[in-house]
Amino acid sequence: MEIIYSDLLCIGAGLAGERVAIEVAQNGFKVVCLSLVPARRSHSSAAQGGMQAALGNCIKGEGDNPDIHFEDTVKGSDWGCDQEVAKLFAHTAPIAIRQLAYWGVPWNRVVSGRSFYYKGGKRFEKIERIEKHGLITARDFGGTAKWRACYCSDGTGHSLLYTIDSVAISKGVLVHDRSEAISLIQDGENCLGAVVRCLRTGKLRVYLAKATLIATGGFGRIYRASTNAIINEGGGLIIALETGLVPLGNMEAVQFHPTGIVPGDILVTEGCRGDGGVLLDINKYRFMPDYEPEKAELASRDVVARRMVEHMRKGFGVKSPYGEHLWLDIRHLGKEHITTKLREVYDICLNFLGINPVEELIPVRPTQHYSMGGIKTNVYGEAYGLKGLFAAGEAACWDMHGFNRLGGNSLAETIVAGMIVGKRIVEFLQEREVNFSLKLVELELKKQQEKINKLIFGKGRENVYKVRNAMQDILMDYVGIFRNEKDLQLAVDNLQELLERSKQIKLRSNGLGANSELSLALKIEGMVKLALCVAYGALQRKESRGAHTREDYPYRNDRDWWVRTLAYFKEKDSLPTLEYEPATKKIFLPPGKRGYGGTKIVPYDYPKDAPLPEL
Amino acid sequence: MRATNVRKINFSNTVAYLDLSQAITGIFLCLFMLTHTLLVFSIIFGEKCFNKVALFFESTGLAWSSGIFLTIIFLFHFLLTARKIPFSFTEQAKFWSQAKMINHQDTWLWLVQVLTGIVILLFGSIHIWVILNDLPITALKSKHLMQKGGWVYFYVLFLFSVAFHLGLGLYRIGVKWGFITSQNRLKSKKYLFILVGTLIMIDSISLLFFYF
Amino acid sequence: MSRILEINIFRYNPEDPASVPRMQTYYLEETPNLNLFIALNRLKEEQDPSLMFDFCCRAAICGACAMVINGKPQLACKTKTKDFPNQINLMPLPGFKLIGDLCVDTGSWFRIMNEKLEAWVHTNKEFDPEAEEERMENSLAEQIYELDRCIECGCCIAACATAQMRSGFLGAVALNRIARFILDPRDKRSEQQYFEIIGTDQGIFGCMGLLACEDICPKNIPLQDQLGYLRKKMGVLAVKNYLFWKKRS
Ligand SMILES: Cc1cc2nc3c(=O)[nH]c(=O)nc-3n(C[C@H](O)[C@H](O)[C@H](O)COP(=O)(O)OP(=O)(O)OC[C@H]3O[C@@H](n4cnc5c(N)ncnc54)[C@H](O)[C@@H]3O)c2cc1C
Ligand code: HEM
Ligand code: HEM
Ligand code: SF4
Ligand code: F3S
Ligand code: FES
Repeated sequence: MEIIYSDLLCIGAGLAGERVAIEVAQNGFKVVCLSLVPARRSHSSAAQGGMQAALGNCIKGEGDNPDIHFEDTVKGSDWGCDQEVAKLFAHTAPIAIRQLAYWGVPWNRVVSGRSFYYKGGKRFEKIERIEKHGLITARDFGGTAKWRACYCSDGTGHSLLYTIDSVAISKGVLVHDRSEAISLIQDGENCLGAVVRCLRTGKLRVYLAKATLIATGGFGRIYRASTNAIINEGGGLIIALETGLVPLGNMEAVQFHPTGIVPGDILVTEGCRGDGGVLLDINKYRFMPDYEPEKAELASRDVVARRMVEHMRKGFGVKSPYGEHLWLDIRHLGKEHITTKLREVYDICLNFLGINPVEELIPVRPTQHYSMGGIKTNVYGEAYGLKGLFAAGEAACWDMHGFNRLGGNSLAETIVAGMIVGKRIVEFLQEREVNFSLKLVELELKKQQEKINKLIFGKGRENVYKVRNAMQDILMDYVGIFRNEKDLQLAVDNLQELLERSKQIKLRSNGLGANSELSLALKIEGMVKLALCVAYGALQRKESRGAHTREDYPYRNDRDWWVRTLAYFKEKDSLPTLEYEPATKKIFLPPGKRGYGGTKIVPYDYPKDAPLPEL
Repeated sequence: MRATNVRKINFSNTVAYLDLSQAITGIFLCLFMLTHTLLVFSIIFGEKCFNKVALFFESTGLAWSSGIFLTIIFLFHFLLTARKIPFSFTEQAKFWSQAKMINHQDTWLWLVQVLTGIVILLFGSIHIWVILNDLPITALKSKHLMQKGGWVYFYVLFLFSVAFHLGLGLYRIGVKWGFITSQNRLKSKKYLFILVGTLIMIDSISLLFFYF
Repeated sequence: MSRILEINIFRYNPEDPASVPRMQTYYLEETPNLNLFIALNRLKEEQDPSLMFDFCCRAAICGACAMVINGKPQLACKTKTKDFPNQINLMPLPGFKLIGDLCVDTGSWFRIMNEKLEAWVHTNKEFDPEAEEERMENSLAEQIYELDRCIECGCCIAACATAQMRSGFLGAVALNRIARFILDPRDKRSEQQYFEIIGTDQGIFGCMGLLACEDICPKNIPLQDQLGYLRKKMGVLAVKNYLFWKKRS
């Protein structure tokens, strides 16, 4: 039995994991990070757009401050967030950005003088101030009052991750890449570490630590079409959920982005539509104005995505071997604009579709993009249910995003949470004394080894890929953008059935070495459980809030549903157990209108027993 | 993290000097070759002219002194480049399989440079030996030599090797030291190949004059 | 009629005593827009689940999927089958430790590289959370970003015959990384300190100007120009050291 001891075991080496690791390592503790892939390949590197922080340097961001950022975040969340967290977040973000600059991130800077920008396809002029020349600049993002998204050209996440990883190396943070945590070691009260499968050799190792952090990113891959990396399968959430003690928060809050390309599901930026691109159906007909006469393609993300699905359901989708899609048309923007301002889109189309967007239509469809839900933690990142277990980043439900996260807020979350959670872990470690019971360790290791043996030698007959594909299809078809009782019930029933099948997997390969069929087989049951948390949570939440849209409950119901779902999964159960807690303990900004999206609201002080207002 | 924490500076410049010397000896040899080509080219203006030129170098002692000096540079250049030449079989095999795998022009051209270099080492030594052992140089002697046995094949192979090695060598220096940038790479390559072609042409003409 | 592709894949699983290195042929019907990410996953799911290969972002930004495709190191996820003849040969990247089939251990290689280079900003300044950020010209930020774009895919190492012949050679990716820090005014290391790292036969003076790195880099990092710049800079420095030393003695 190979045992590796550390003070902090960081499961995940993306931005969140490594930022926590840095904080803890520079206080003299031993930190080991695990990652499925080399740290720098973590999906944080895929973020292009930017990172929000209220610096107010550029002219279109003038007068910005953390309080406005806080308000934007709360409105964006459709009042689903924890306001204390959002406040702390908004006030720490500027420091985080500046520290990143200090560490070497090549943020784009203010260039004083006259320049131009486009909005809705039109050209406007702006003049940057000379006093701000050379300070960090920002760009425009959806749902914000000011230009606030700091960026490095079109590779913000990449530059951040490379910089953070370099600092982690300088602080002696160890990264064990190609290592997958497959279960937590815990005694019912304390988290003690994890059992880990080496993705080089296939061997199991044990990591014991005084504190364990889960920062494994999103779980978009439970959906068939996702902009997430293929490693975003929710491994960290699964091992937490499977303890039966740790709840996942707001799992039904899943964000879809209107324009993922088909095939490939790679994101093409909102800028396409921002600059005047339009959506067409199978008849090359522009349908959005019919649904949204006012804003058409420029309605908010969730609205556009919703309308696209609606239109495809009516039979106006374009059939392809990779599923149905619609067209994005940016041809009229002209070659010059496309090859300069939308260069990334141009490259993606050329590389992945083999089409030239200057002359051809881009096949797109709404695509799963971000997981607001995750391991529920308090404001310091301490997971509910187990002492010594922490979570940060997209894997956590720290809960500043509520039911809809704003673009650029997620990179900011990883770093800011990293700082705050890291500090808390340092305090925790200074007092923490644990006795590692080897008995417990052996038990857990044996359990996992038996699971593997069963998959290789057992009597099951299910094909893991078929089970996964079935799960992805169920979520795609019934737990997508539009939700209703009938579909959700169907999804939950089907997923329950699938959960049984997922326990009957048998490998078709020999499972030796870095076998990826085994990797998937080990977590497929957990993935179906996550899917159940999403579907069942959505079924139970009888309102529409942010990205969670119920056709049968179109109101944002603050009276009954201003709460956060907590999903537990007890061993042997076939459904999660749901509990609810208030969405926020502290209220700085009482619920109100978002100012976009046009949601109908049942106010929180609406009489208790009164029937809901007529539609 | 701190700049001052970095170990006491304790490095050696040797490798840099070696690399610089490699380029400088290379350039020197190139310049020599160009001059040499022009000098030998005087044969087309008749034996008298050639002899006069030869006599000038002879009488001033330039022929043998520069000959010795050159030989030293020549060997020095070889010793320097030998650091780069794969002598061990594993290295050769690796390079060969790599070149075959990616089938990339500049990688192949490096191989050409090494092979021509080795040809030059052998043939050049013989050539210098023969010439310097039989001073003074006269057109007649050269003609006799050229018309005797297989010497003409020797020279043809030799001149092709030298021309290519020279062209590729200049290209390499340009690339390695940043004179040739990604902007002007294709153009530079074209010009250098024109230079190689011109050299081959001039030298062939001289050879023809000796041969007939 | 769509083509039937013949895909020849290098197979070897070091953890399986029964496995020997070999090429194995698979057949797959080509669909429109097919790329190697989709193709390989279809092979794995439909024909042979023991196949090992790496993908992550599948959008040409993470560098995980580099492999040798018909002789050229490339990112498989952005390689379209329609640009190739019926026959496609896939080999693991040379120059890295083999994990199995098409998987190689780039993670360890790059970690060691970054440790050797001390590829982080070195400074004596403390971070002051209260202070405004230090100013920088936008053009300089963009220049740094241009070099920062490298995704550590390893293609330049796999393409470089020098790196293949001499395992200690740092390669274009490392040299480009150093050029990035030289550009960055926040890194307070002196030229001598950089020289110490790369002024060797493993560093810039080991490069023989083969330029396969430049021609193959999937991110079009300006490697050639960085290599030229570094050699000039380090060469000049060595000469300065020589003169300086003369004066002193
Ligand atoms: C295409 C795209 C574009 C985006 N653009 C933006 C943007 O412009 N602005 C913005 O703010 N946000 C953006 N986001 C969101 C943002 O990038 C992510 O939410 C954020 O980077 C997540 O960081 P993380 O550290 O939590 O997780 P990740 O970076 O995903 O890291 C997860 C880590 O966990 C490891 N891991 C996972 N499972 C296991 C396991 N079982 N065992 C061990 N290790 C494991 C992984 O290997 C990895 O190292 C974008 C997201 C996508 C998909
Ligand atoms: C002894 C015979 C010779 C041998 C074995 C030889 C070999 C080589 C080799 C292997 C290189 C490549 C070095 C590298 O890529 O780093 C080289 C470079 C070079 N050679 Fe030669 N060479 C010889 C003679 C000559 C002659 C006669 C000339 C002039 C015509 C010449 C000019 C050059 C030049 C200009 C370079 C480039 C230098 C550099 O890259 O720094 N060489 N030589
Ligand atoms: C100082 C020394 C040298 C002298 C005096 C010398 C002189 C000559 C002479 C007289 C010829 C005419 C043919 C003959 O008589 O053989 C000749 C030809 C030639 N020499 Fe040299 N040479 C010298 C060194 C070199 C070196 C170092 C090289 C290259 C490495 C070289 C390359 C050639 C070639 C390629 C030819 C044949 C092509 C031609 O006609 O120009 N020589 N040399
Ligand atoms: S320099 Fe280019 S080829 Fe080399 S690792 Fe970076 S991106 Fe890949
Ligand atoms: S291929 Fe290799 S030899 Fe130099 S120019 Fe590139 S690193
Ligand atoms: S999978 Fe990330 S670059 Fe190909």
